[in-house]
Amino acid sequence: MRKNSLPALAAALPVFAFLITAALAETVNWTAIRGARIVPVSGPVIEKGTVLMRNGVIAAVGAQVDVPASAWVIEGNGLTVYPGLIDALSTWALPQPAQAQPAAARGAQPQQPPQQQQQQPQQQQTRSWGPRDRPGTFSWVKAADQLQPGDPRLGQARNAGFTSAAVFPRQGIVAGHGAIINLGGKTAGDMVVAPEAGLYLALRPSGYTGFPSTPMGIMAYFRQLWFDAGHYRQALALYAADPVNIPRPAYDRALEGILGAKRVLLPAADPVQLERMLGLAGDLKTPAVFYGAVRGYEMAARLKETGTPVILNVRWPTRDRDADPEDQDSYRELRIRDLAPTSPAVLSQAGVKWAVSSDGLDSPRAVLRALKQSIDRGLKPEDALRALTLSAAEIYGAADRLGSIEGGKIANLVLADGDLFNDSTRVRMVFIDGVRYLPEPEAPAPQGAPGRGPSHSEEEQ
Amino acid sequence: MSIVRIACLAALAAAAFAAENNTFLLRNATVHPVSGPAMENASVLVVDGRIAEVGAKIAPKGKVKVIEARGLHVYPGMIDSGSPIGLAEIASVRETVDTGEIGDFNPQLRALIAVNPSSEHIPVVRANGITSVLVTPGSTGGGRGGAAGSLIAGQASLMHLDGWTWEEMEIRRGAAMQMTWPAIQMPRGRGGDIEAMLPGLAARRITFAEARRNQQQQVQKIQDFFDAARRYQKAKAAGEAVQPDLRYEAMIPVLEGKLPVMITAVREREIREALDFAARERLKIVLAGVRRPGKALEEIAKRNIPVILGTTFVPPLEEDDPYDDPFTLPARLHQAGVKFAFASFGTQFARNLPYQAAQAVPFGLPYDEALKSVTLNAAQIWGIDAEYGSIEKGKYADLIVTDGDPLEIRTQVKMMFIRGAPVDLESKHTRLYKRYSARP
Repeated sequence: MRKNSLPALAAALPVFAFLITAALAETVNWTAIRGARIVPVSGPVIEKGTVLMRNGVIAAVGAQVDVPASAWVIEGNGLTVYPGLIDALSTWALPQPAQAQPAAARGAQPQQPPQQQQQQPQQQQTRSWGPRDRPGTFSWVKAADQLQPGDPRLGQARNAGFTSAAVFPRQGIVAGHGAIINLGGKTAGDMVVAPEAGLYLALRPSGYTGFPSTPMGIMAYFRQLWFDAGHYRQALALYAADPVNIPRPAYDRALEGILGAKRVLLPAADPVQLERMLGLAGDLKTPAVFYGAVRGYEMAARLKETGTPVILNVRWPTRDRDADPEDQDSYRELRIRDLAPTSPAVLSQAGVKWAVSSDGLDSPRAVLRALKQSIDRGLKPEDALRALTLSAAEIYGAADRLGSIEGGKIANLVLADGDLFNDSTRVRMVFIDGVRYLPEPEAPAPQGAPGRGPSHSEEEQ
Repeated sequence: MSIVRIACLAALAAAAFAAENNTFLLRNATVHPVSGPAMENASVLVVDGRIAEVGAKIAPKGKVKVIEARGLHVYPGMIDSGSPIGLAEIASVRETVDTGEIGDFNPQLRALIAVNPSSEHIPVVRANGITSVLVTPGSTGGGRGGAAGSLIAGQASLMHLDGWTWEEMEIRRGAAMQMTWPAIQMPRGRGGDIEAMLPGLAARRITFAEARRNQQQQVQKIQDFFDAARRYQKAKAAGEAVQPDLRYEAMIPVLEGKLPVMITAVREREIREALDFAARERLKIVLAGVRRPGKALEEIAKRNIPVILGTTFVPPLEEDDPYDDPFTLPARLHQAGVKFAFASFGTQFARNLPYQAAQAVPFGLPYDEALKSVTLNAAQIWGIDAEYGSIEKGKYADLIVTDGDPLEIRTQVKMMFIRGAPVDLESKHTRLYKRYSARP
């Protein structure tokens, strides 16, 4: 955008243009990290090397790099430099919708008026009877338009070493478009790396408030939506060719949103759902990325065969804290709980491209702890790191700018005082677009995080 | 004169008719008294609806109708120890369902007086040899854990499955007080992932602590009601002026330990609580719908509490329970020394009562016990064993005549007598069978 408009400006206002281009060219900010251990992910580890950044972009990496005299030099002795971590499926920086909280939490605050409890922004809708009512559809919503640079979770994420995320809205069944963002920046616009990352689809039945209330109905609805979008595109093309004789098609924001989708994110919790979603993705003729995959350890072969990437939810299943103490866990549940953390190793071994989602975890740091569990169960640390960096970037087609420490990529770096998956390791600083962020004191985790019940102390009342 | 003569003749005719109807000699059958060993080539003499004699050779005294039953078997009529039959016709048509009155406590309601004697279910159930039913006023969810809603649903009544009116069907109007012990209930989402749950279910999700609180509130309600009833009872006994209250009035026999309370309690936790409550309140109780008694089984046995079991044709309650858990439960109760009987807790499958018992036999229950659990045990549990439940002298002639073991599905019930009177074995099923057999 800016590049294109500059010549035009230059033609109109040569004096100002000269000033602007001169300013852009002259304000070169060099930053160098010297003498650190560098893990570029895209290549072999450099035991003692230098990363040179120029205006927020990596200029050079290597054991021997010439550092300009004007560079701000950070001595990296004893530090390890990693590419900034990427949460491949996140809601960081997005406004958090009122979660369906456990009833007890609501009961604990009876003074809260009932309207407020049920408040679900954008989800208040009338009963739907069929696809034409566009049930649970928010395909025109763009995460890039909703970013909140003041989200306290961003600081927590940076503290854990995350510098980027693919963030997606989560409402209804066609939730909206995700964006690739950097987890720092002065304005919401600064944060956006790519405004379109794909369309998030969920298989959450409406719960008897109308069509669709079954997975079958939801899948049929998705197909209908894509058919409608195809028809809409044709109608628009015909109209554009002959606006005199062809009736003007009605503008449909839901279908506009479908047409703009680069890829779809589909849930695949288990092998059965995976098969269904593979079929659906074929019908939608849109590249698919699967998310969830709690039972990924059973899905590796099929994912490899179909060449589809998967975003693993690393909130490993545990016994519900609210469970009846007399309830015994079934063998099936125990098995899933035991094997779920082995999914990363199994997927890596099979050669499936996978990345990691922070979904449902209390804190960004918990992502690393969850992966440490997997490393203890056979996952190679380098595979874990790749999933958190380059693989995530590749899945979203952003590997030209994110995911590794290479010349020309965005300067998103993590400096840690040891191995990233070691619990005692501390992140000393992160760079986002070449801007340094130091660790912030962490606010206490918000209560009633999604999927969790109230703390034990509340239970005792 | 002639008028007198006609009157005399009429009286004679009436007597002859009566004698004809519930006095007969059943001959040359294999008699299974249930209370004792089977007798081959035996006869049963029924006089005025009661069993007058059972034995090898009974000479007919005077003019008695003789029924030849060579090759056939005589059993006592079976008793279903819990069913809303006559109160509910078609579950999905609300107008035909008379169970489950609104309110937590309705002890004054008596199931019998609401029974529809013309229910289509009655002849169908009779066809399999069931002559009596404990009709329950609570809306039992097919034996899956009891009445939804009511804590005390009303009085269950014992009735015969034949009669023009409910009065004719009556065995005992108030046979038991039907009660449900509240369970700690949590809507379960398998996997526990709130994202994957239906929004409706997710919204109703409650913590265990809250579920327990809800349950404790229900239990407190029961305690408060019993306390109020006891105050009423004492005030009345002391001759104080009390405002008559039908609910408390109906509770007096319960508080006196005369009327048994049939308490639905499925799992160990509810069973223990119900047992403790009964001991505290000195109640006479019968446990119903028991499915997972766990270690409470010893306590049930020790305290001689009878149990009414629901259908055995169910999958186990818990995923990892043995597949045959429902099949072996009767045998486990028997081994522990617990007296039990079976109930269908339903209408359309009430006819399967004998097969519920039969299903337990290959899984360890002695055959004789299975037979007793649908006859004599039920009569004993409900306190009518002096007159019902077996083929013994002096008892009412509730009999079935079959071509084999009534717990066997292929067996046909050839004749049925209720208080000695023959009962029609036609039912909707036989009518439909005839109709479609005749189709060209």
